[in-house]
Amino acid sequence: SRLAEGTPRRSIHLSNIVEQRVFKDDDIISTPKRGRPKKSVEDEDDDYTPKKSVQKTPTRSRRLSTATKPATTPSKGTTATSAAAPMTPSQKMKKIRAGELSPSMQQRTDRPVKDSSKSQLQLAREQLHVSVVPKSLPCREREFENIYAFLEGKIQDQCGGCMYVSGVPGTGKTATVTGVIRTLQRLSKQNELPAFEFLEINGMRLTEPRQAYVQIYKQLTGKTVSWEHAHSLLEKRFTTPAPRRVTTVLLVDELDILCNRRQDVVYNLLDWPTKSAAKLVVVTIANTMDLPERLLMGKVTSRLGLTRLTFQPYTHKQLQEIVTARLGGSEAFKGEAVQLVARKVAAVSGDARRALDICRRATEIADTASVKCVTLLHVQQALAEMIASAKVQAIKNCSRLEQIFLQAVAAEVTRTGVEETTFMGVYTQVETIAAFMGVTLPAPGRALRLCATLGAERLIISEHSRNDLFQKILLNVSADDIHYALRVGEVN
Amino acid sequence: QQQPQSEPETLPSPPRNKYQNARRVLNSAETQNLPGREEQLLELREFFTSHLESQSSGSLYVSGQPGTGKTACLSLLLRDPAFSKRLQRVYINCTSIASVGAVYKKLCAELQLKPNGRTERDHLEAIQRHLRSAKRMLLLVLDEIDQLSTSRQAVLYTIFEWPALPGARILLVGIANSLDLTDRALMRLNARCELKPRLMHFPPYSKQQIVEIFKSRLAEAEVLDVFPPVTLQLLAAKVSAISGDVRRALDIGRRVVEIAEQQKRDGEKEFNMKALELEGKDAVEAKEKQADTLKPVQVTQVAAVLNKVYGASQNLEEDIEAAFPLQQKLMLCSLVLMLRNERNKDISMGRLHEVYRRVCSKRNILALDQAEFAGTVDLVETRGILRIIRKKEPRLHKVLLQWDEGEVHAALSDKQLIASILSDTACLGK
Repeated sequence: SRLAEGTPRRSIHLSNIVEQRVFKDDDIISTPKRGRPKKSVEDEDDDYTPKKSVQKTPTRSRRLSTATKPATTPSKGTTATSAAAPMTPSQKMKKIRAGELSPSMQQRTDRPVKDSSKSQLQLAREQLHVSVVPKSLPCREREFENIYAFLEGKIQDQCGGCMYVSGVPGTGKTATVTGVIRTLQRLSKQNELPAFEFLEINGMRLTEPRQAYVQIYKQLTGKTVSWEHAHSLLEKRFTTPAPRRVTTVLLVDELDILCNRRQDVVYNLLDWPTKSAAKLVVVTIANTMDLPERLLMGKVTSRLGLTRLTFQPYTHKQLQEIVTARLGGSEAFKGEAVQLVARKVAAVSGDARRALDICRRATEIADTASVKCVTLLHVQQALAEMIASAKVQAIKNCSRLEQIFLQAVAAEVTRTGVEETTFMGVYTQVETIAAFMGVTLPAPGRALRLCATLGAERLIISEHSRNDLFQKILLNVSADDIHYALRVGEVN
Repeated sequence: QQQPQSEPETLPSPPRNKYQNARRVLNSAETQNLPGREEQLLELREFFTSHLESQSSGSLYVSGQPGTGKTACLSLLLRDPAFSKRLQRVYINCTSIASVGAVYKKLCAELQLKPNGRTERDHLEAIQRHLRSAKRMLLLVLDEIDQLSTSRQAVLYTIFEWPALPGARILLVGIANSLDLTDRALMRLNARCELKPRLMHFPPYSKQQIVEIFKSRLAEAEVLDVFPPVTLQLLAAKVSAISGDVRRALDIGRRVVEIAEQQKRDGEKEFNMKALELEGKDAVEAKEKQADTLKPVQVTQVAAVLNKVYGASQNLEEDIEAAFPLQQKLMLCSLVLMLRNERNKDISMGRLHEVYRRVCSKRNILALDQAEFAGTVDLVETRGILRIIRKKEPRLHKVLLQWDEGEVHAALSDKQLIASILSDTACLGK
C-alpha cells in the first residue's frame, strides 16, 4: 500500500486519508469536508489535541448521558449540547482557539474518601506531598522580603524592570515568587496597592521559544493565535502608550530554555520593560547563577540588569524545619528520623523535594510494617532505596563468567596503567584467570557476547562488537567495587 | 476601583518620599535629554540635514557597546519635529522579525505599501518601486542589524545597496554592537565608495559623563541631595572603569537607593520601638523629626552594592562556609587536590570519582555512588565554579575548574577538614 500511496495519482487524496485516520475512532465525521484542511494545527497548544476534543463530541456525550446517570456526565458535554446543532471538528477547533470552550477533564464516578477516615500516617503522607505548597514558606523570609520589596516598588512606581532569580533545583524559587505575587494580589484587592496583571510562562512547557508569545497573548486575551501574530500584537500593546495601562508582572520560569542561537525571544522579553509605555516587570528564574554571563549576549545581559537574587541550598536545620512545618503537630514522625533525613539530604544537594520524597517513602515503609510511627530504621531503609548504589549488587548477581570478565578488565587496567583496554588484552587476562580458577574459558565469540551484556548493563563501556578483537573497553564501575563485591561474595 | 483609574496621576495616595522619587527617576526607560551625547547628536543631526539639503542618499553604521545610548539618540532624533515634515521615518528592530528575509515584509507594512504577491521578492520589488518614486525622503533605522547577518548576507547587501539605487532618496542607519560589522560582514561594499556606509562609534561613557547623567536625572525630580557627590564619583568611577554601560550605572544607583530605603525603614522600626517607651508629646515630636530628615546615601552603602555586583570572589568564602553541601565541598576539594598534584589536568568524571571515594573512605564519610556523584557535579556547575564538557558517557565527561585555582584553594583551606584533605596526596592513588 505504501507503493500505491507514493504514486502521484493517489497522492491527491492523501489529505482525505489522513483526515479519516485521525477521526476514525469516533466515527463522527458526517459532513464531507470541502477545500483544504486547516493548516494551523501546528500552532496549537498541547492541551488541545484534536483527539481529546473529539472525544467529547455532542453525539457521543448525548449517547452517554442517556445511558448513564446524569450526575456523571462531563460538564463539557452539557455546554457543548447547549449549542443547537452538533459541531463539526473545525467548528470545535475554532471555538477552542477563541477560548470559548474551557478544557475540562472527566470526573471520577465515585467520590473521594473522606479525610476523617484516614489514618494519621496517611494524613502525614498527604501533607508531605511535594505539591502541597504551604501558605508561607519556612526559611525563605529574607528572599521573600527581597522579591516583595522589588515588586512592590515597581508596581508603586509604575515603571518597568527586570529581576533574575537563580538557585539549584528544589530551593523554593518558584514557590517564593508566586507566594509574593499572591500577597501582592491580595493587597491590590484591598486597594492598598495599584492593581496589576500577572502573566506566567515556563520555558519547559513550550515546544519552541517563540511559542512564548502565544502563551503570553493567550493569558492576556484567552485567544490562541499564531506566534507571528501574537508577537506583533504584543509589540503593539507594549510599545504604544495607552492611558489606564496597568502594570503587568511577567514571570518567566526556566529562562535558559528560551535561549536559542538568535536569542530574539529573550531579547524581546527583556527589551519591552525598557519601553516606558509598557509598565512591564519581568521576573526570570533559572538554575545557573552565571547564566547571563555564560549564555546570553552582551546586549541581553545589559538589559537584564544587576538586580539578582540567589537561593542557596537548604541547610540541614532548614530542611528539618520545613519537614516539621509540613507535619504540623502530627506525631507520625520521630524527631531523630526527620533529623537524619535532613542531614543526609543537606549533605548532598539541599533539595527540599528530595527530603519530602524520602519522608513519604519512609511513611510507606512504616505503613507496610503496620506501625503507626516512622522510626529511624524506616528512614534508613528509605534512604538506602533512594540514595541507591546498586552497582555492587549488580556485580554480585552477574554470572560466573561475567564476573571473571570484569575481574579481567580490572586486572588489565592495573597491568597497563591506562583506563582504556582492548578486548584482546582483556581476553588474555580472562584466559589467565580461568586457568587459575580451573574453569573452562569461553570462546572469543561468546566472550564478545558477555562483553555486550555487560555493556548494556552499563557496568562497562564498550564499543560496537563489529571490530571484535580490537574494540575498546572501559570500566564503568570502580575497580574497588569489583573486588569488594567478589570478595564479600566468597566469604559467604 | 474604576473611578480613580481615570486619573492615574492622583492614584498613588501615600505621599512619596525622596527615596521613592529617586528610585523612580533612575529607571532605564527612554528619556528626553541625553547628557554626555551632545557630540554624537550633533553629528547625527548634521548628517541628516546635509543629506536632506542635497537630497542625496546616504548610509550610516552606528556601533558601540550595549548601554551607550545608540538607540536613545536615534529615537530622540526620530521624534524631532524638525525632521518630521521633510522625512518619512521608519524604525525597525531586527530582533522582532520572524526571519531574516521577513524584514522586507515588515518594511512594507511600515510604509503601507501594497505588494503584488506574497513572496519575499514581491515585497522587495514593492519597496524598490517605492524608493524610486517616493515624494519624501526616507529615514530607515534598523536596530540590532547584526541579526540580519547570514552566511550569504543577501539581505544585508540588498539593504545597503538601496542608497545607490538610481533615483532613490533614502537615509539608512544601522545600529549594532560590533565595531567592524560592515568590514567583516560586508566586504564587497568597500569596492564602491558610494556604497560604503559612514561609520560612527559611540564610546563607552566616561566617569564624568555618568556623573552628569545622574545629576540631570536626579535634578529632574529634585532629589539631588539623596546622592552626595562623593558617592556619585565612586559609582561612576567603578562603572566607567568596567563597562561604561549606563544601564548598569542606573541599576546600581537604584539598588543603592533601595537598600538605603530598606535600612532607613529598619531604623524607623527600631526608633518606633524606642518611641513607645517614651511619653506622649516627646514621642510625637521626635517622630515628626525623624520622618522629615532625609539621610543621603553613604559611601559604604555604594561600596557594598558595588562589591556585591562586581566582586564575585568575595562571596566565595562565605558561600563555602555557609551554604555548600558537604559532599559538594568534598568533591571540590578532591578536584583541587588533583589539579595541584597531578601533571595531567585532563580530569574525567570517573577519575575524579575514584579520588573522591578514597577521600571519603579515609575520612569515614559515606561516599556517593557514581550516578549520584554526576548529579552533584552538575549542581556545582550551576554555581559557575566548574564546567563540564559532555562526552558520550557520564564517566567520560571532562571537569574543568572555572575559578582561579589559588583562589579556591585559599577559600577552602580555612577549614580544618578541608585543609587536611588538600594536603593528603596519598588519596590520589599513585
